[in-house]
Amino acid sequence: AAEPWPENAALYQQLKEEQILLSDNASSLAVQAFLQMCNLPVQVVCRANAEYMSPSGKVPFIHVGNQVVSELGPIVQFVKAKGHSLSDGLDEVQKAEMKAYMELVNNMLLTAELYLQWCDDVTVEEITHLRYGSPYPWPLNRILSYQKQWEVRRKMKAIGWAGKTLEQVLEDVDQCCQALSQRLGTQPYFFNKQPTELDALVFGHLFTILTTQLTTDELSEKVKNYSNLTAFCRRIEQQYFEGHDKDSSATVAARPAKRSLLR
Amino acid sequence: DVPVLISEDIVISQPAKILNFLRKQKYNADYELSAKQGADTLAYIALLEEKLLPALLHTFWVEAENYCSVTKPWFASRIPFPLSLYLPGKMSREALNRILLTRGGPPLYSLTEVEAQIYRDAKECLNLLSKRLGTSQFFFGDTPTTLDAFVFGFLAPIYKVCFPRVQLQEHLKQLPNVCRFCDDILTCYFRLTVSGHSPAGQDTADANLQKLTQLVNKESNLIEKMDDNLRKSPQHPPRKLTMLKLAAGGEESSPLNRLSP
Repeated sequence: AAEPWPENAALYQQLKEEQILLSDNASSLAVQAFLQMCNLPVQVVCRANAEYMSPSGKVPFIHVGNQVVSELGPIVQFVKAKGHSLSDGLDEVQKAEMKAYMELVNNMLLTAELYLQWCDDVTVEEITHLRYGSPYPWPLNRILSYQKQWEVRRKMKAIGWAGKTLEQVLEDVDQCCQALSQRLGTQPYFFNKQPTELDALVFGHLFTILTTQLTTDELSEKVKNYSNLTAFCRRIEQQYFEGHDKDSSATVAARPAKRSLLR
Repeated sequence: DVPVLISEDIVISQPAKILNFLRKQKYNADYELSAKQGADTLAYIALLEEKLLPALLHTFWVEAENYCSVTKPWFASRIPFPLSLYLPGKMSREALNRILLTRGGPPLYSLTEVEAQIYRDAKECLNLLSKRLGTSQFFFGDTPTTLDAFVFGFLAPIYKVCFPRVQLQEHLKQLPNVCRFCDDILTCYFRLTVSGHSPAGQDTADANLQKLTQLVNKESNLIEKMDDNLRKSPQHPPRKLTMLKLAAGGEESSPLNRLSP
């Protein structure tokens, strides 16, 4: 852990154009934003089996030196052990607040994204099933897709989201965005002058929602209702993603034209 | 699905919906809060659900000693037979399922690893709540709000229920401001003494109260009958009254003396 950050650090995710889904893209973008904010170079590598390579089964994961760490939480701790941290300047109460807001994003936004792409029948049929197993031949692509759907639906049932309708889920997204918008206010970042991992996480999710084309625009409309959130996304994009290496997945979607998730 | 609010003909379940309903009826504890504080409320509730709830479920429903000696008898005593044989087991399985689906999975492969992780998270969550509460009486100053209600709802069972396996309770007791917070709400809004009652103690207290009420009722019925008898047959006073003439006390007090335990 005491080794310096190597030049050849790599971040693995699924294939950008054909395979990756909304929730995974959001998580991956959050990690990329966080590493950019820490000024740690990382190369984005796209692999069809990224999920299976990951030590926790979730993307993204980073390969640094001879260590592999997945998901934003553990990555933040790993980076902190190497001596880089964005939240050192916060006092105890602010740190508690930051952790609470990160849980809010995970609890509401991420779960809503998972619900939309795996439990909403229209989206599942038209987008998810086509994309998720696309690198694999038939019938493997269908089997993998159904298996993942069954897993996600089990989890939704356990936490009580299976009974929700799409309108209720969108209501929850709206409530979450309203809370984030009220917390952000007119500040540039959530904790005023300096970005933290919370900013990276919020950016990852909101930017992905805004720039991903789904069967309907309802999800992105919910976010667009809050102008300070869209300004926040644009600001981070301009500061940390434009002009950087072309592999960054955000630059592809930098222009207002929507990046399409439809085939 | 509990809790359930039944108001006239409307039935509402789930805390969030109940609070919404109450808000529409103009009962709002968050009226004084700023927009940012309202947002903080939502964030901290999410923190409780993600970090504290798994360990809470585990302590009540999955930890074998706790479940067998406290939770199961407690719930089964209130559920009619034969459901009392089936429902607690079902709730226990659902709790374990929820824990494993949301927190299990690689790199945590065994139940003990998952348990260790959820208790670590719960203790961290309790620490965060303590830091946020600081020295103030409630989370947003001097008046309680929705967040206080939610935090109390999660913490009070951990704080008060007497389990055999109590690692969360012991951790909570090391955070004096959080304990004081729970005690304050219990004394102000639930009118319990600070020492509180365990569920078994409360039941015996109820039973004792019932017996006492019955005894007092019986005594007052007997006194009434005595009075009636006195009024109806003055020429033939009941035997007891002959003794009354000899007794020093008045008529009214003697029947009571005879009846008192």
